[in-house]
Amino acid sequence: MRRRDFLKVSVAGAAVTSLGVPAYLKTAWAQGPIKIGMPAALSGGNSQYGIQAKRAADLFAKDMKSKGILGRPVEFIFEDTGGDPATAVRKAQKLVEKDGVKFLTGVVLSSEALAVSAKCPEWKVVFMSTINGAGSLTAKSYNRNFFRVNTSGPMGARAVSLYLAEAPMKRFFALGSDYAWGRDSVASFTSQITAAKKEIVGTDFPPVGTKDFGSYIAKIRQSKADGVYLVLVGQDATIYLRQAHQFGVNREVKPIMEILELENMKAVGDAMVGAIGSSRYPFTVDTPKNRDFVKRFHEMHGIYPDMFDGETYEGLEWLVQVIQKAGTADDIEKVIEAWEDSTYDGLEGQFMMRKCDHQAVQPGFAVECVKDPKYPHPIPKILATYPGDKVTPKCRTEEFS
Amino acid sequence: MADVLEQLLNALALAGLLFLVSAGLSLVFGILRVVNFAHGVFYMLGAYLGFTTVALTGWFWPALVVVPAVVGVLGALLESSTLRFIYRRPPIYQLLLTFGLALILEESIRVLYGPTAKGVEPPPLLQGAVTLGALVYPRYRLLLAVLGCAVGAAVWLFLRHTRAGLVIRAVAQNSEMAGCLGADVARVRTLVFGAACALAGLGGVAAAPMTTAYLGMGIGVIVDAFVVVVIGGLGSIAGSMAGSLIVGAAQTWGAYYLPETAMVIMYAVMGVILVFRPWGLLGEEE
Amino acid sequence: MSARRVWALAAVVALAVVPWVLARHQLSLLTDLLIAGLFAMSLDLIMGYTGMVSFGHAAYFGLGAYASALVLLNYAQPIPVALVAGALLAGAVALPVGWFSTRATGIYFAMLTLAFAQFLYALAYKWRGLTGGSDGIAGVPKTTLVWGGPSLASPHAFYLLVAACVVLSVVVCRAVVRSPFGRALEAIRENERRFTSLGRDPRPFKVVVFVIAAAFAGLAGALFAPFRGFASPEVMFWVFSGQGLMMVIMGGIGTLIGPILGAMLFILIEEVLSSYTEHWMIFTGIVFVLMVIFLPGGLVGTARRLGARA
Repeated sequence: MRRRDFLKVSVAGAAVTSLGVPAYLKTAWAQGPIKIGMPAALSGGNSQYGIQAKRAADLFAKDMKSKGILGRPVEFIFEDTGGDPATAVRKAQKLVEKDGVKFLTGVVLSSEALAVSAKCPEWKVVFMSTINGAGSLTAKSYNRNFFRVNTSGPMGARAVSLYLAEAPMKRFFALGSDYAWGRDSVASFTSQITAAKKEIVGTDFPPVGTKDFGSYIAKIRQSKADGVYLVLVGQDATIYLRQAHQFGVNREVKPIMEILELENMKAVGDAMVGAIGSSRYPFTVDTPKNRDFVKRFHEMHGIYPDMFDGETYEGLEWLVQVIQKAGTADDIEKVIEAWEDSTYDGLEGQFMMRKCDHQAVQPGFAVECVKDPKYPHPIPKILATYPGDKVTPKCRTEEFS
Repeated sequence: MADVLEQLLNALALAGLLFLVSAGLSLVFGILRVVNFAHGVFYMLGAYLGFTTVALTGWFWPALVVVPAVVGVLGALLESSTLRFIYRRPPIYQLLLTFGLALILEESIRVLYGPTAKGVEPPPLLQGAVTLGALVYPRYRLLLAVLGCAVGAAVWLFLRHTRAGLVIRAVAQNSEMAGCLGADVARVRTLVFGAACALAGLGGVAAAPMTTAYLGMGIGVIVDAFVVVVIGGLGSIAGSMAGSLIVGAAQTWGAYYLPETAMVIMYAVMGVILVFRPWGLLGEEE
Repeated sequence: MSARRVWALAAVVALAVVPWVLARHQLSLLTDLLIAGLFAMSLDLIMGYTGMVSFGHAAYFGLGAYASALVLLNYAQPIPVALVAGALLAGAVALPVGWFSTRATGIYFAMLTLAFAQFLYALAYKWRGLTGGSDGIAGVPKTTLVWGGPSLASPHAFYLLVAACVVLSVVVCRAVVRSPFGRALEAIRENERRFTSLGRDPRPFKVVVFVIAAAFAGLAGALFAPFRGFASPEVMFWVFSGQGLMMVIMGGIGTLIGPILGAMLFILIEEVLSSYTEHWMIFTGIVFVLMVIFLPGGLVGTARRLGARA
């Protein structure tokens, strides 16, 4: 991998200037490329997510080749954080101070996002989240330079709860990894599902990195729940699903996942068929724009886009539109103003960037893991689509009306 | 009743897995006096190679033999090209060398296999569950318990009742003397290291159908293995067995009855044991 | 003036002058390197001079970071107050831990230090109300030098604070190591049995140096929190302790200055390599293995050997 993935619009730039463009565009060209910094977890245990961000950026760069923004080429600069918040801040600071980026995105972990975005007002850069789900980023820890394009964790829990409110299942067990995301999502789910007059019959929080879910599986089975709400980090979810399948528990207690992602489906395979949950971006969304995106993605990378591939691509596309609208990529205040209350026609549907907390209001999806002979692995089939205003929490909170 | 039996079997299965991983670690310390930080990565390598074997041949059982052999050879090669030169130095150097080797191997595995976890199906004989009265229990887990016992017995018998085992123990007790008496100390060390890595690889293959092969597997297991070995006493196979049972039980029942302590229960147990016996249950006073 | 004094003086002058010479991001990097160097040096006190290997040293760095973060964020005290708080908390926790752990020796001691460190890690992870849990504490401000005094928010000013702390720490640690107490530590490292047979109990020495080392690690952590603006459980995880051990060996065990240079080398290798390839860990591992085999004295040890020959 080369250090900088230079995605130059050299042809466009030369063509445009040679056509005798207005003076202001010539000046913009003289300012150099628009740099987007991506301090992503490209190594270590969370690298599968950082790599999704990178894949999306690669495809986006290719799509941008003949366009540019405001006549300037786009340049992506990647740095590897290894999934560690201290390294993330260090790399982000380097991107800002040395490379002069004004936009940071592609950060994987919520803990990294919290640390980096807290510094963004001081650095005067915009932080765009396309992966981070922690509710606090648009609530308690909100700052003006932070924008969240992706579906948040509470929104995912909400989509699941809305679906389950109508479903015949009545009793639920909740199993969350013992850290912020697991705890918060289980709490959110618990409050919503009890409001829907259903029952939580047990909760448990296995440590991150649990190898053996035997004891938890035993408890789940004994609780006689209809479904188990799972909020486990990627690897742990894979292990749980396989072990639950080996115990035969998946037939008795339906796995319900806040995030139903392709990474799990590829690793677990058929043992997961029948699981339901929410997906931040299911690649099976049936719109012309999305079908085209999936096709281009598959051509470039040879696989189908997972959740963060899609969300990152949408974020980048929206960011570029916002920069065009603001007319500048250097005056961050103008970009922030242009982004607030703006709309975007995304792969999943319509997005609207709320001014009060910079959360993008977007559709939520309840999906089911099904087998389809056209694909080499199980895929997410959309069971229900919920409009943005039903799944997005109240401003600056993690609660729903 | 069924619940108690289920928990017991879970504890035994986990203990079997832990023993496979920690036996090698204990041997390497007992005989080479080296704290092998790369041990977890050999375990991970075993799991990934198990995946490859099954993917290539469609058979699982051969993997139980082939993979440990491959991992063992790799371990022996690494030992003879790096560790061998620094035995005379203070122990911290050997420890850190293995740490460096762990970094190299772990990242190499990532380069070869990519970041997605690899699932391994158990062999058809061991798929599904067996019904024991009211209890339905996965067949594959029973294998782990049985394998752990079998390997433990085999290693112990080897060390106690064969000539080669005698030589190994002699080198452990006093390598210079053993050398004077004609033992090829360097070769013994290489073989023991290789055998320990093979055991770790076997642990990995055995674990893969239960946990999948994934990056971070090595880091995840190495601390558990250290705790087991320290509880049992470094250098003692019987100690590793005892340690595995204790840690397996603590983690299984801890997760069930005291879930909030799941993160630390194994350390608490270790701490308590070391307070009363600072060299582990069956370890030797230094 | 001896050659060593000249080097020392030159280094201090260089450190003082550097803010006007380096670009902004280079200054940030240097600040980072100095903090890591302080952490590594504190580890050398127990590792190099007393021969005790600790797998849990990062926990004290973390304690310092959390104490500092809470003091600065919740009480807006001047930074030196946060530094003292960090060092004190780390030292205070190290006292009982050291007392228990030194019941054992060698690898058993190391495992006990690891166990306690993992306890603290779990505590930081789960006590969300106090520590922010797995998310940690973000938005830690850089405050002032004294009450109502000059702000330390600018990169220059903060860097000078860090450099001053590191230089002072080196001076203090050197004094400790050269004192009779320090000599006793080396005797314990060389041959603990003989030490005991001469009628002295090594344990109080070991506990005291463990506490001192923890306090300096806590100081480093207390500098880290306002510098990076946050504290999180990862800085207490045993992998960071392991990196500390690597930094000490790379720099030169038992030399105090060596580990500081070792920390710099370690981080610089990562910085440079990670820009070229995402598989930089392989190269770091190779460099490290080669250093362990061929340059056991680390940077400083090898330099001294070459210097002695010349």
